[in-house]
Amino acid sequence: MMQEKSMNRPNLSMEWLRSNTTTIGPILFVIAVVAIFQVINPSFLSYQGIITLIYAMSYFLIAACGLTFVIMTGSFDFSVPNMLKLSALICVLYIEKIGLLVIPVALLVCLGFGFINGLLLAKFKVPSFLATLGISIVVDGIAWFLSKGHLLIMQDVKFRSLSTTFIAGFPSILYWGIGIWIICTFLALATAFGRRTYAVGGNLEGAGLSDINVARHRIYIFMLSGFLSGLAGVLYMYQMGGGSANIGADMAIPLFASVVAGGTALTGGVGGPHRTILGVIIITWIQAGMSMLAIGKDIQMITFGLIAIGMSIATVDRKRIKIVK
Amino acid sequence: MNNQNRKRMIPAVIKQTLKMHPVIIVFLALLVIFGSIYPGSFFSPINFKAILRQFVTLTLFALGPSFVVLTGRLDLSYVGIWMLGGVLVWLFKPILGMFAIIMIPVVGIATGLFIGVIQTKAKIPSFILTLSLLVTYTGLTALIAGGYPRAVGGYEFITAPLIPLIPTTFLLSIPIIVAAIFLMKCTRMCVYLNAIGSNEEGARLAGINVDKYKILAFTLSGIFTGIGAVVLFQHLGGSAQVELKLNNIVWPLVAIVLGGTPLTGGSGGPQRTLLGAITFTIFYRGLYLTPLHPTMITLLVGIVLIVSIIVSARGLKGVTVT
Repeated sequence: MMQEKSMNRPNLSMEWLRSNTTTIGPILFVIAVVAIFQVINPSFLSYQGIITLIYAMSYFLIAACGLTFVIMTGSFDFSVPNMLKLSALICVLYIEKIGLLVIPVALLVCLGFGFINGLLLAKFKVPSFLATLGISIVVDGIAWFLSKGHLLIMQDVKFRSLSTTFIAGFPSILYWGIGIWIICTFLALATAFGRRTYAVGGNLEGAGLSDINVARHRIYIFMLSGFLSGLAGVLYMYQMGGGSANIGADMAIPLFASVVAGGTALTGGVGGPHRTILGVIIITWIQAGMSMLAIGKDIQMITFGLIAIGMSIATVDRKRIKIVK
Repeated sequence: MNNQNRKRMIPAVIKQTLKMHPVIIVFLALLVIFGSIYPGSFFSPINFKAILRQFVTLTLFALGPSFVVLTGRLDLSYVGIWMLGGVLVWLFKPILGMFAIIMIPVVGIATGLFIGVIQTKAKIPSFILTLSLLVTYTGLTALIAGGYPRAVGGYEFITAPLIPLIPTTFLLSIPIIVAAIFLMKCTRMCVYLNAIGSNEEGARLAGINVDKYKILAFTLSGIFTGIGAVVLFQHLGGSAQVELKLNNIVWPLVAIVLGGTPLTGGSGGPQRTLLGAITFTIFYRGLYLTPLHPTMITLLVGIVLIVSIIVSARGLKGVTVT
């Protein structure tokens, strides 16, 4: 391994090209997506079309930012869609009883479940995929139990303005999404927290040896993911004006696909939230564009499944890792 | 029986077995608990039949992935093989006639081989690869079927009752189970899979062709799921399903973990999955008799999954999990 690396060293132009492919690739992908949909459907980039695209991507961006942190540490959070659903349902169910206090309550519940996720991984050695799968079933059960399977409509129009007020021509949920994205990018690139995240993802043992409390950091990461999926759920609910226990059921793969399509490798240590925005644009705009063209959910699922597999193959650095499970 | 030694042996053997398979205690405890709360309905012939039917479903879905879990990886594609295979049977029935059922094993083998090669060569975490493939298959199934379940007739003989009280599918699943146990107990392959699961680098250094056996594990998983899905196809209604249910994915996983195959790999295998499947079935059928709401049962299943993973992961001090 060492020899291979030192032999590749002089070939810097290849290295440069490779490191740039992961940045330029998603940008080209976005341009291709926009161009294709614009050619097929001329109203794709009209004002109304753009508003649709913004509504499709904003809440998704917030949830994907949380998931990005988890994937950066090499773990996976399957429970994001279900947490999103639960926080949306808590909002719509209890808004009449406790008013705007539902937002902190919903966020705290998701934070709590995120904490349990992290605890299961870091302390009980449960692989994150299965820990979060188990928790997402529990959360799903709670969501069905609370809503009894009904479609719940938000009666109070006043609260919806949180996501649907138009500021400078765009709905306010866009500013929420972009704001959270900027905060996450700052967190990942300019703080000790972000450095630790990269360290844990890049080399778990090394991070432990260099005096990072790995277990605690992993718990923080999952709490962040839970918190952000809860926030996404709150804003999603204000955007849609209601919710049921059915929403978000098949969001897991598109969410994951958007993170890897942005260039965050599944094996951890590379990428970051700043890249995820491109992936989110790719995935949600394909989704919205297909829906505008009345292409069914089945073809969308095939597309996202294939994008997820293809982008995982493209982003994983096969030289660095020996064993992948 | 008069032999003094043998008398002393029996408790020791029982003790050893219980130590190795703590799930047997859970199984017996569940039998006693539910049997004493609902003596009438729990031990009724109908419930017995229902338990056997559900046991068959769980086992046939979980046997194949057990081979993969042994190597420390995950294979979630089983529901996808069942769904896509089912709809392909419907699609090819006019062309191939009764032989259309062969599509299910074909899909199984092809999927297993594909996953094995991609996972080993491209080094993608297996759970996300198989999950993405599962979603792709669901989309394909819905696309081919046009969005709603397609009934396929002509295979009713699979479920035609032969012996009263015992579902025919249970009889049909016995050879599959025996084949899986034979592979585990009587071949070198099982030792290699265990070695890969417990220490892949060590297995490689010991001269085992690790990549080959990993691909073999995924292919075996596909084959077993493919053959099992032939039985399940008729067992679960004789029609191609188009809707992906989380329960279908999770329950076989619970059976595997509950049986005592740790998800980090290295021990266990299909024979333990049988134990897990029967225990989970008793648990589920017992809960079904209680006045609990179905959503509460779902919730409890999630908790059982987490608890059983925690228990099976005990003693893993040096292993890093992601």
